[in-house]
Amino acid sequence: MKSSMKGRVAIIQFPGVNCEYESADAVRSIGLEAGIFRWNEDPALLDDCAGIILPGGFSYQDRIRAGVVAAKDRIMDSVSELARRGKPVLGICNGAQVLVESGLIPGIHWEKVDLALAPNVMADREGYYCAWVHLRKEKGGCLWTRRYFDGEIFPIPIAHAEGRFVTEDERVLAEMKSRGQIALRYCDPAGVVVDSFPVNPNGSVDSIAGVSNVEGNVLAMMPHPERSTWLRQVPEDIGGQWGRSRRAAAGEAARMEDEGPGRRFFAALREGKGVDAR
Amino acid sequence: MKIPVELWVRLKVMDLVAQTARITLAEKLNFADRLRGITRYWYWGMEAEGADEKNIVEEIDRAIRLDGAFTNQNKHLYRLAALGGPARGDLALEKDLSLAGGTAAGGGNLYAFDCLVREKRPDREIGFTERLNARIKGVTVSGMKHGEVWRLVVSASSEKAALADVERMLVSRSRREGLLLNPHYQQYEIIAATRVEAGKPAAGARGKE
Repeated sequence: MKSSMKGRVAIIQFPGVNCEYESADAVRSIGLEAGIFRWNEDPALLDDCAGIILPGGFSYQDRIRAGVVAAKDRIMDSVSELARRGKPVLGICNGAQVLVESGLIPGIHWEKVDLALAPNVMADREGYYCAWVHLRKEKGGCLWTRRYFDGEIFPIPIAHAEGRFVTEDERVLAEMKSRGQIALRYCDPAGVVVDSFPVNPNGSVDSIAGVSNVEGNVLAMMPHPERSTWLRQVPEDIGGQWGRSRRAAAGEAARMEDEGPGRRFFAALREGKGVDAR
Repeated sequence: MKIPVELWVRLKVMDLVAQTARITLAEKLNFADRLRGITRYWYWGMEAEGADEKNIVEEIDRAIRLDGAFTNQNKHLYRLAALGGPARGDLALEKDLSLAGGTAAGGGNLYAFDCLVREKRPDREIGFTERLNARIKGVTVSGMKHGEVWRLVVSASSEKAALADVERMLVSRSRREGLLLNPHYQQYEIIAATRVEAGKPAAGARGKE
């Protein structure tokens, strides 16, 4: 069945993803329309969508390597072309792995694989790791982070086994830094980047949590903003302002539906610029 | 004495990961006319030191049969052997290879390459070394190499041309090139290359099956 995406945010549903519906809900939370778009639908229907989200999960069951099979899918021909023309594209977790394996991120050399999201490296453990961590918004021209102010610190959940940004080519890392493509870094609650577990939860080079393309319209991030879109999703025992807000809202159903720390990634799709300072 | 020992493991049932790799290489990366077979194995190669070859292999065999991190006999076939020595387990690598034989398209030849894909960081190999050494008695292993072996059977006019295709299948350099490893954290080596003849046992036997 064909579904028009005109004016809507298209959530690409590859076989095996599992965050498409909550990503759509997160888009709706900021007043935009969202639609689930199956990987085998006519990609021409994406042309007039408002933006594209590659959600989290396990596309193609993570076969061979997380994200790589989806990266070769024909729908990614269209996603790549639309991204090149400036369409906003957000890859969350497995979606970030798809963007990295597609070469859309970092996109210094378009469609060239310049990065990997490698298995986590953690102290005294291996494999899947699930926790709330803190992010620091870095300076740069990323569309998706434009509603956070530079240096803003906020909590957000991660849940992955292969989230370690790494590159063999030091020049790529230097270029990403010089062009302001490192959009998000893991940090402690005070905003200090500590390059060791658990502050850096997966061993990412330079504590990188999210990378944008050169133009800023494509972002690959390992943390899950759709799981922190409402205040009710924030753990009660987390520190800082978000924890205080969450505890203050306990027992008040209406307040629990207030904005959570991840919602502004989606709010970035609304027209207009500037920071929605809390 | 110190001898090289190899452990090969594969699924008893159809390997859907290998099937996905075959479909992706054939249909999305345009190797349909050249890729003739694909099999995936888990591989451990190591140096083992002990009293004699028989003792070394028996002791490692005892340990890996009891440890699901290496092999689970409900779902795996395995082959354990010192280089050139008799094999233990129920996996016949040579049989796998002869099954890959067939008619090469366009009158070319068939070549099989065993490509070991490993992570560049040695963490997991260190972990497997420690795990095995904690479970064996009178034998010590070192120099562990662990990864997946992709056995790729390709049709080509020469071994050189076949190897070039295999390298293009292996290394993800762009969205439209390569699949089986990401060079930013993985590496590969060709550990065996064999010309496959249809309907005949493959040459280049690795030990006795």
